[in-house]
Amino acid sequence: MATDTDRPMLDVRNVNVIYGNYQVLWDVSMQAHAGQVMAVLGPNGSGKSTILKAIMGLTPVRSGKVLLDGEDITNRPAHEMVARGMSMVLERRRLFTGMTVYENVMLGAYHPSVQKHARDRLEWVESLFPIIAERRDQIAGKMSGGEQQMVAIARALMSKPRLLLMDEPYLGLTPRIVQQIAGIIRKVNAEGIAVIFNEQNVKLSFGISNHGYLLESGRVMLSGSGEEMMKSDVIRRVYLGE
Amino acid sequence: MFKPFTLQARLGMAGVLLAMLLLPALTADPYVMHVMVLTMIFGIFASAWNLVTGFAGLKTFGHHAFFGLGAYGSALIAINLGLSPWFTIWLGGLIAAAAGLLIGTPILRIRSMPHVAIVTLGFAEIVRICVANLSGLTRGEMGLWGIPQFEGFTLPLVGPVSFTPADKVSFYYLALALTVLVLLVIVRLMRSKTGLAMLAMRDGEDAAESLGVNLTRMKLMVFGLSAFIVGIAGAFYAHYLSILTPASAVGVDLMISIIAMVLVGGLGTVSGPLVGAFALTLMIEAMRDLENYRLLGYGALIVVIVMFLPKGLVTLRERFFPRPQEQ
Amino acid sequence: MNLAIFLEQILNGLIAGSMYALIGSGIALVYGTMKVLNLAHGEFYMLGGYFTFYLTVQLGLPFWVAIPLAVLLAFLLGMAIQKLTIEYLIVRENWAFTTIAATLGLSIVLQNAALLIFGERFNSVPYYVDGVMVLGDIRLPWQRVMIFVVALATIAAMTWLLKYTRLGWSIRATSQDQDAAEVVGIPVRRVYMICFGLAAALGALAAAMLAPISAINPWAGIPILLKGFVVVILGGLGSFPGAIVGGLLLGVVEAVGVQLTSSEWRDVISFSLMIAVIWWRPWGLFGKK
Repeated sequence: MATDTDRPMLDVRNVNVIYGNYQVLWDVSMQAHAGQVMAVLGPNGSGKSTILKAIMGLTPVRSGKVLLDGEDITNRPAHEMVARGMSMVLERRRLFTGMTVYENVMLGAYHPSVQKHARDRLEWVESLFPIIAERRDQIAGKMSGGEQQMVAIARALMSKPRLLLMDEPYLGLTPRIVQQIAGIIRKVNAEGIAVIFNEQNVKLSFGISNHGYLLESGRVMLSGSGEEMMKSDVIRRVYLGE
Repeated sequence: MFKPFTLQARLGMAGVLLAMLLLPALTADPYVMHVMVLTMIFGIFASAWNLVTGFAGLKTFGHHAFFGLGAYGSALIAINLGLSPWFTIWLGGLIAAAAGLLIGTPILRIRSMPHVAIVTLGFAEIVRICVANLSGLTRGEMGLWGIPQFEGFTLPLVGPVSFTPADKVSFYYLALALTVLVLLVIVRLMRSKTGLAMLAMRDGEDAAESLGVNLTRMKLMVFGLSAFIVGIAGAFYAHYLSILTPASAVGVDLMISIIAMVLVGGLGTVSGPLVGAFALTLMIEAMRDLENYRLLGYGALIVVIVMFLPKGLVTLRERFFPRPQEQ
Repeated sequence: MNLAIFLEQILNGLIAGSMYALIGSGIALVYGTMKVLNLAHGEFYMLGGYFTFYLTVQLGLPFWVAIPLAVLLAFLLGMAIQKLTIEYLIVRENWAFTTIAATLGLSIVLQNAALLIFGERFNSVPYYVDGVMVLGDIRLPWQRVMIFVVALATIAAMTWLLKYTRLGWSIRATSQDQDAAEVVGIPVRRVYMICFGLAAALGALAAAMLAPISAINPWAGIPILLKGFVVVILGGLGSFPGAIVGGLLLGVVEAVGVQLTSSEWRDVISFSLMIAVIWWRPWGLFGKK
């Protein structure tokens, strides 16, 4: 790390993703730096979920490159990412709904590379989310949406990531819970973990992020710091309705 | 999907039909005729299975039940009631169709492919065991023999036509007529509104539903029609061979041959099942000495086709000589 | 009817049912994790029977060496078959049908390969244990008791494995959500392979246990596969506990049904039960919609 402090932690270069006959991402490039919170904005169908999946290795990249700490991870299987310090909270939580909260969280430390720290991590995660300890033996599928989102984030943190991807973390949650999750994102970031999340709501996003990208129809339309983005014409006109 | 046939396709079909019509003039060798009759029976069976599996997207694995029901149904009615096979083969088809509607009803409630596969297999097994066990009626494993043959008649210009084991040519033309009839029905069906809806249904049920298509009724109808056609093929088979056993008429081996034929020819194509039936029957006959390897070959063929040529032989041409993209 | 005979039949039903449970749980394990309906599952049973036969009768190994070896062979074979076929099909668009078709083809290949290699002769294995257990008026050969005990022990071991081991957790996680499993670092494709192997091993174990009382031939897997299907429909396709209960239930229903009719109608009874269940509760007797 000392060699090149300017090198982005995550470097996405001209990524194209095609589903069947339909191209979802067109030459998408973006960078995220260590310790940052980055927002990927865009309406439904803009490809903002696909880019996270492509980074994680859940969706095949047709052309282009994804580099993590300068290493090429393009199209590497998702289950290897945990060992490289990246983990992900999937859209709509995606807990193992038939398993207990404890089992769900502990599965976050399943990978052999992080397994031995599981106990310590569990303590840390429980300190962030007291609900994990309180509901330890509850079946995850029976919790409310907000509670499930916390378990999902806790699960993703168990592998001690340096970069956390969050696919639509606010989706389907009440405003009160959204505020709570935003607080958690700040807390996670305060631990030195970089976060990339995607969201439709621009105001909500720039409340917590330092940097953002705007996707439309699979292309990057705009990028910059939160302030810059909020000032841009496109954003003001289309997304803030000014 | 179902575009009007190109001139090339029309000429091809006319050519094949002409060749089929003229074949007995070239060689009336009973063995050649026999192989061709079997090819056509299996071709009809395969086309009807392809109708539900390839076009309607209902993956069933128990169609041999309908073949057996048609075969035993028609044969038993002809034997016990003394009715003419010309009439009973239609009854055989109706019995199969009734069974198809019966088993189709629970299947339609479930969209899960594995459930459909299991239920249809289980149903066919019930039919096979019943045929084997009800030996008072069917003579069970001993085999049902003495099944009446089609009565002969006199055609103007041609003269008397008889259906005896020695006269394979008349069976050949009868089978050809049935094959053409079945193909016409299938093509007409696929060209109709119902056919279009069926393809929509296969490619995405929700989409078809939003088009206002009554999925359940349509699936049931297609399933019943397919069972009817297979039943007639079975009935024809019964009166052609004059002898039936549970294994030959309701055995799972039969279904496996049909699946192999359709997959080899091309699932979801009109000509695929016939091409597959022809190719496999011919292949088997060519390798008669290797009879012991027949099923082994079918099995291996299914695996290989599914893995390496999932669209079958008839799409090979398109693969090597792709048609220009239509705009 | 004599009460003791009736009870004996119920016990025999439970014993047969415990074997159905082993078969069904293998099908459930494969379907539960990878959503593949394995039509070649019966052939793992058949091959397990032949492995046992060759290891005990031909090589003269004691059964307690031969059976684990046969099960291990089946496990390896299952994994190899998955790796060579399903692995490639499962990523394709129409995998649901192609996997069914491919396993059907595979089943035919294995049956006929067995026919060419082993011949069509029925082979059987001598009893592993002799004698008859007498409990009041009820008499059961120890061989059958052993079958039941082994089945229960296996079910207990599998339950423990699923509940408490890393492998078990990864299997359960994979069956509930593949993407989520992949994201937490579970190599889902490897889990598939292991599950296929485990299913094959369960089938082979059932065959090894039944080898002394029912002969092995190249087609021995067909009725077993169909029974396995009935079991998983009763229990809910893909549910491991459902398959266990479904298996025992089917055994008892058949035992009672055969008492009421005759043994040649046994299979008709079970398939009709299956179709009735599909009609009434397609998600299984115990599961939720």
